[in-house]
Amino acid sequence: MNFIDRFVAGWAKYRKPGYYEDFDYAWTMTIDLDRCSGCGACVTACQAENNIPIVGEEELRKGREMQWIRIERYWEGEYPNAKLKFIPMLCQHCDAAPCETVCPVSATYHNQDGLNTQIYNRCIGTRSCAVYCPYEVRYFNYYDHHWDAPLEQQLNPDVTVREKGVMEKCTFCVQRIRQAKDHAKDDGRRRLRDGDVQPACVQSCPTEALNFGDRKDSSSKVYRSMHDPRAYHVLEELNTLPSVVYLKKVETHAD
Amino acid sequence: MPTEEKPLQFADVNNDIVRSLVVTGRNYYITLGIAMFVALACFFFPWFYQLYYGIGAAGMNHPTVWGTYLASFIFWIGLSHSGTLLSCVLHITNSEWRKAMYRSAEAMTLFSLLVAATMVMVHVGRPWFIHWAAPYPNQMGLWPNFKSPLLFDVMAITTYLTGSLIFIYMGSIPDFAAVRDRTSGWRRHLYVLLSLGWRGTDTEWHRLGWAYTFLAVLIIPLAVSVHSIVSWDFAMSLVPGLHQTIFAPYFVVGAIYSGTAGIVTVMFVLRKYMNFEHLITQLHFDNLGKLLLFLSLLWTYINMLELFTGWYSGTSAEYEQIKYKLTGFYAPLYWEMILFCAVAPLLMFSTKFRTSFVPMLVLSIAINIGMYTERFLIIATTLSRQYLPDAWGVYVPSLVEISILVGSLAVFVTLFLIFVKIFPSVSIYEVKETMPQPRKREANLES
Amino acid sequence: MSTIDRREFLKLVGAGSVGTGAGFMLAEAIKHPLEHLIPYSIPPEEFSAGIDTWYNSVCGMCPAGCGISVRTREGRAKKIEGNPSHPVNQGRLCALGQAGLQVLYNPDRLTAPMLQKGERGSDTFLQTTWEEVLSSVAERLVVSRNRTDSIYFLSQGVRGHLAKLFELFMGGLDSDNLWHYDFDHPHSLYAANDRLFGEQQLPYYDIRNSRYLLSFGADYLNSWLSPVHHSLGFGHSRQGGDGPRGRFVQIEPKMSISGAAADEWIPARPGSEGILAMGIGHQLLAKGRYTAVDADDWSAALKDYSAASVAERTGVPAETVVRLADEFSRSQAGLAIGGSSAGNHTNGVDTLVAVNMLNYLVGNIGKAGGVVFNPDPVSGPTQSRQANYRALEDLVENARNKRIDVLIINNTNPVFTLPKSTGFTEALASIPLIVSLSSFMDETTVMADIILPSHTYLESWGDDIPQPGVGFSVAAVSQPVVSPLYNTRATGDIILDLAGRVGLRETMPWSSMEEYLRDGWREIHARSETDGENFDAFWRDVLRSGVWGENTRREGSVVINKRVIDNLGVAEPEFAGSEKEYPFMLHPFMTNAMHDGRGANLPWMQELPEPMTSIVYGSWVEMNPATAKAMGLHDGDMVTVSSAFGSIEAALVVFPAIMPDVVAMPIGQGHSALGRYARNRGTNPLQILAPMTDSASGSLATNATRVSLVATGRRSDTVRTGGMARQLGRDIVQSTGGDATAAEHSSALNSIPIVVEST
Ligand SMILES: Nc1nc2c(c(=O)[nH]1)N[C@H]1C(S)=C(S)[C@@H](COP(=O)(O)OP(=O)(O)OC[C@H]3O[C@@H](n4cnc5c(=O)[nH]c(N)nc54)[C@H](O)[C@@H]3O)O[C@H]1N2
Ligand SMILES: Nc1nc2c(c(=O)[nH]1)N[C@H]1C(S)=C(S)[C@@H](COP(=O)(O)OP(=O)(O)OC[C@H]3O[C@@H](n4cnc5c(=O)[nH]c(N)nc54)[C@H](O)[C@@H]3O)O[C@H]1N2
Ligand code: SF4
Ligand code: SF4
Ligand code: SF4
Ligand code: SF4
Ligand code: SF4
Repeated sequence: MNFIDRFVAGWAKYRKPGYYEDFDYAWTMTIDLDRCSGCGACVTACQAENNIPIVGEEELRKGREMQWIRIERYWEGEYPNAKLKFIPMLCQHCDAAPCETVCPVSATYHNQDGLNTQIYNRCIGTRSCAVYCPYEVRYFNYYDHHWDAPLEQQLNPDVTVREKGVMEKCTFCVQRIRQAKDHAKDDGRRRLRDGDVQPACVQSCPTEALNFGDRKDSSSKVYRSMHDPRAYHVLEELNTLPSVVYLKKVETHAD
Repeated sequence: MPTEEKPLQFADVNNDIVRSLVVTGRNYYITLGIAMFVALACFFFPWFYQLYYGIGAAGMNHPTVWGTYLASFIFWIGLSHSGTLLSCVLHITNSEWRKAMYRSAEAMTLFSLLVAATMVMVHVGRPWFIHWAAPYPNQMGLWPNFKSPLLFDVMAITTYLTGSLIFIYMGSIPDFAAVRDRTSGWRRHLYVLLSLGWRGTDTEWHRLGWAYTFLAVLIIPLAVSVHSIVSWDFAMSLVPGLHQTIFAPYFVVGAIYSGTAGIVTVMFVLRKYMNFEHLITQLHFDNLGKLLLFLSLLWTYINMLELFTGWYSGTSAEYEQIKYKLTGFYAPLYWEMILFCAVAPLLMFSTKFRTSFVPMLVLSIAINIGMYTERFLIIATTLSRQYLPDAWGVYVPSLVEISILVGSLAVFVTLFLIFVKIFPSVSIYEVKETMPQPRKREANLES
Repeated sequence: MSTIDRREFLKLVGAGSVGTGAGFMLAEAIKHPLEHLIPYSIPPEEFSAGIDTWYNSVCGMCPAGCGISVRTREGRAKKIEGNPSHPVNQGRLCALGQAGLQVLYNPDRLTAPMLQKGERGSDTFLQTTWEEVLSSVAERLVVSRNRTDSIYFLSQGVRGHLAKLFELFMGGLDSDNLWHYDFDHPHSLYAANDRLFGEQQLPYYDIRNSRYLLSFGADYLNSWLSPVHHSLGFGHSRQGGDGPRGRFVQIEPKMSISGAAADEWIPARPGSEGILAMGIGHQLLAKGRYTAVDADDWSAALKDYSAASVAERTGVPAETVVRLADEFSRSQAGLAIGGSSAGNHTNGVDTLVAVNMLNYLVGNIGKAGGVVFNPDPVSGPTQSRQANYRALEDLVENARNKRIDVLIINNTNPVFTLPKSTGFTEALASIPLIVSLSSFMDETTVMADIILPSHTYLESWGDDIPQPGVGFSVAAVSQPVVSPLYNTRATGDIILDLAGRVGLRETMPWSSMEEYLRDGWREIHARSETDGENFDAFWRDVLRSGVWGENTRREGSVVINKRVIDNLGVAEPEFAGSEKEYPFMLHPFMTNAMHDGRGANLPWMQELPEPMTSIVYGSWVEMNPATAKAMGLHDGDMVTVSSAFGSIEAALVVFPAIMPDVVAMPIGQGHSALGRYARNRGTNPLQILAPMTDSASGSLATNATRVSLVATGRRSDTVRTGGMARQLGRDIVQSTGGDATAAEHSSALNSIPIVVEST
């Protein structure tokens, strides 16, 4: 194949809708809003697992929170009919991720498991990806963060501690996926089974609102869950093809 | 300074300009000293502080990850227009009055671009790795992402910078030769090198003329494309208020608008402090005023379009953007911008206004303040109000940012001050072309 | 000016490079090295580089007793997760439980024994040796034991063998003054269960299988009893089963997390929840839903609670009362629970009796989705030692009258959690010796003379019988997951050491808590069906799984005494302070992150946005929007909240779901000690509470104080992570009707672009 043929073939592949579906796995998370109580266990789980820094009150006042998964809250109605709805928001691992196209150095890109990965070492900190991400789930390291000794002893050795000037965000706990794959390989299994990988947030969720798995495996829980009639994508109209599927909250009315 | 009514001689032009290069007064050194000091204290020191501690030294935060640095970047890129661009247009259209000012205009382009490039360095989180955005073979096998509008930007700016540099240099060669012939010592050595052995033969003039026009034609679309591409950094996102098809023309018009206003400012300064009263006249201000007026109307029209499309979209996200712009946290800045860039320029309908130097200076500065505000608002208002209301927030620039903004002006002024001592800031030969030919001399030659 | 010669030039260049290099090295050196070299050439046994070791244990962050699995690596604890085998939390864990790591690795831990050197409370301690502190404490105990009951032991609530150890110890010291003190202990709930059902322990509330949950004030998803277990049940009832989706109704004056999660939130006047329950009971009887032989007794007892009169007294519309009764009785498995704010009034026990009654009236006792009684705990003392408010008042009284020689405090913080009006802190002045066993310099420990720094739960041996249980016998072992970080000791070991020194070796012969625990578990081994497995193997298995269970269930049926029925009735709640002077009823509430204040020194908990307001690092007071408007107050104004017993300042939060005459404040901030993350942050609403009690349980009626609010004219700098909390029609959180069929959602389904066949 000469250069031009290769280019054309590559372009055709790139243009093919569902291109990412040819990859090995398609990791997906479902979030059942009818279960989620907004408790925040997932937030702390993610912080503990992923060495997310404690930024301190002053930084939070400036609006520089660092939580790869956050609980958004929306009020509806007025007293006495006020309602509060929670929605966990994390990187949606979009198959057509706007954050990826804008990164000038490809520090964020799609891997062969359909993850939107973030390569801290490569990032030069333009923050464009954070502007382009409509879900606003990218967090920037405005400083080198510090852990008061001996808090740093808790840090997860499987996860990098990010330095100032780089972007970070939910990785779908890629270190856990890697580890599960390693274990599977040790056991002589080619593919992971449903349930082999549990990201920290999913693992902790007390209401079991979160589910994680491979949507290519039609026997997986997440496959079933995402085909629930309540399934939808947040900001669907932007066509980012997210890998996070929300299940609508059920509102019953008193009869 | 009233001058006696003595016709201008060729020799006067040469001497004037060479004198401006060679004779340096105390005022110049004082100005340069102040500019360098401000650049150091307000630009480089805070920047190093920020490099050490991180971008946190600036005020940017979670929804608003971009701020004044990028606003400054667009501003300087904008200012860079109408320098070289204007010069090219006027060259092609054979505008007589271009000749007194185009060199400074082109210099503005050059230095604005340099400052803009520096603003990028100030903006990114890890400028020490900025070269990763350039395509160069490396053992890591890494390549930049050519799908990224930021990369288009890098390339467009580099190209524009290169083009502008060649253009200004080429146009200066005959003048370098003229200076070479009137100086001695290290200056002579310098201008021997810079003038590339120019002797002023017909062939040389012919080639220069041809190449110059060719470049001028080339640079016009380039300049337009640069700011279009800068606009894509924003327009290619999905952010409500940024994701707009009008953005490319909007940015180009804005750029030429602020660039032209910048030229007015610079010309006023040159005229006043470099004793160029006889070279830069009311006519120049009048013409530039007309151009500015036209641009301001165009700019206002596009701004109205932006509001209209937001309203017309009928979506909560776009609608909120407009509401926020007009009435939100940043609204005072918005109205300041409207006052400076849309309302005040209407004064230029009056010829008297256009031909008055000081009012034009004030207006041109106001326009650029307004245009800076515009760039700031494009970033700050949109990023503060995106799709998910729970993630909304506001951003206020920090002291470091404000200092760097002021300092960047000083950097620009410093560069410009150094430039006027090296380049003849008014084109010698082209000014002469516009003057009446000295008859007596012709007669003498006949005999 | 002299010229620079070549030599000079080289020197300058040299100096410049050295300077630059030194600057660079300095810059590098002051960076924080996050990597630590593995410091062992001969590593300890359990240590293998790069490989995780997991230990099962018990969460010590709240009384729910969840099972934990701690991931350790290179001898350091890395992450706490739920133990999947533990029936309480089934592998899940709340935010506070996960933050246990920051208790262990807290930079403000006490690291060595200390003696008070200056004024008491002045926080001037000197580090010393264990020998010195233990011998001086023992000396004083030996002297004081001659004066019966002059030694007080006030501990946090402990269960299982440690509780038994305390009994032995205090028995040996001839003192009956052994008390457990937890701020959130549900005294009223215990009393109510005792009164109605004759039960000494809490029953199991089967939320998982219930199809209709009526919660009277109980914030069961966040802070009430066993939030993780309830959350599991909630999730399952909502979307887990094949049956109809569970419906949840929450009745409370201020919306809690559980209220937000509920299908219906009904505001009811503070303290009137029991009246509403009685009203629902009235409806059940009136509609003939309860038809047992004693129906007439019930009808008589409930006759005053017609819908109209209940509506009048509770502020809940009469139709709603009727409807709730209807829905509750018609649902297959309806469950009524009550607690948190509803139980913390002067009529708390009456209220909770009324709530429990509903379960009885619809016949869901001992049934799936209902109230299930727990078997007796397999170990630990039988007598409850929980100190209610009255017991603490007695302590204060005894102290003032110089009847206390020694006060031993174990890991509980009454100085922080008791109202100022109790006079606890002042009473401490009359106690000659205060000894504190604690991991942190909290407000109470600051008042001690001798500090015996204790291990955290992640460094200690112990066991636990969860309360409330899960309907069958469960016990769990907690074990050290890392070796102790500092010169601290486990509480059990300290007690055993002291026991030896005061001559109690005979009754307490064990050399360590671990040995004592093993010994104690022989009893459990003996009653277990172990197929002849010897104790060592059994113990190993228990340590490995972290939990032991036995399928023993209690008989479900109960008979309610006619005397109890005849005496049914819910009095009007009483409030301290006149309505005129103090127009608002103060509603203090617990958050999951802060709990009773113990979360305040954990940075993760400080940075966890409170779900309803997204506030971090602070405290606030919530007010109804209409009230705020009427008073001319705005979100973020600093206000002074005053009761007859003191005043505090807090930031006003305009909160859409709170009754107009109620203001709510979170508990847990406002520490004057407890380390860098907790100190001088926010305010503690408990400090201004009136000493109102529920006479039936003797517990503090925390929700019975009236307050006034006055603007200070200042603005607050409270930090919120959330922006605008309205959706503006953007359909971010989407909802659907519960009864919609799949076909109705087909458009939604089709709009999901991800349709993948299995490979
Ligand atoms: N925890 C822990 N950390 C350590 C050490 C330790 O003992 N324990 N040891 C330290 C020491 S001594 C060293 S040397 C470093 C080594 O650290 P690294 O240099 O990170 O070593 P590797 O992981 O062996 O290899 C790096 C990558 O190179 C890829 N690779 C292999 N062959 C090629 C090739 O031909 N071309 C390219 N482009 N890539 C290739 C591999 O797939 C792998 O992803 O680690 C250091 N870090
Ligand atoms: N399979 C495989 N083999 C490899 C490599 C690989 O990637 N894979 N990498 C290669 C490379 S790059 C390297 S550098 C070598 C490293 O190979 P080795 O030098 O063998 O490295 P280690 O196994 O890391 O450490 C050796 C021993 O030093 C001990 N030790 C640690 N600190 C001290 C101390 O202060 N004093 C003393 N006396 N002992 C100490 C450790 O406990 C350990 O037992 O391995 C090479 N071999
Ligand atoms: S842990 Fe689960 S229930 Fe709690 S906020 Fe997260 S998703 Fe919701
Ligand atoms: S959610 Fe945002 S960060 Fe994540 S893949 Fe999509 S665009 Fe990128
Ligand atoms: S911040 Fe980093 S990841 Fe994001 S666009 Fe810039 S270089 Fe890429
Ligand atoms: S998947 Fe992992 S990284 Fe992403 S939010 Fe959950 S815990 Fe955090
Ligand atoms: S509810 Fe939370 S804090 Fe309490 S025991 Fe369970 S995990 Fe620990």
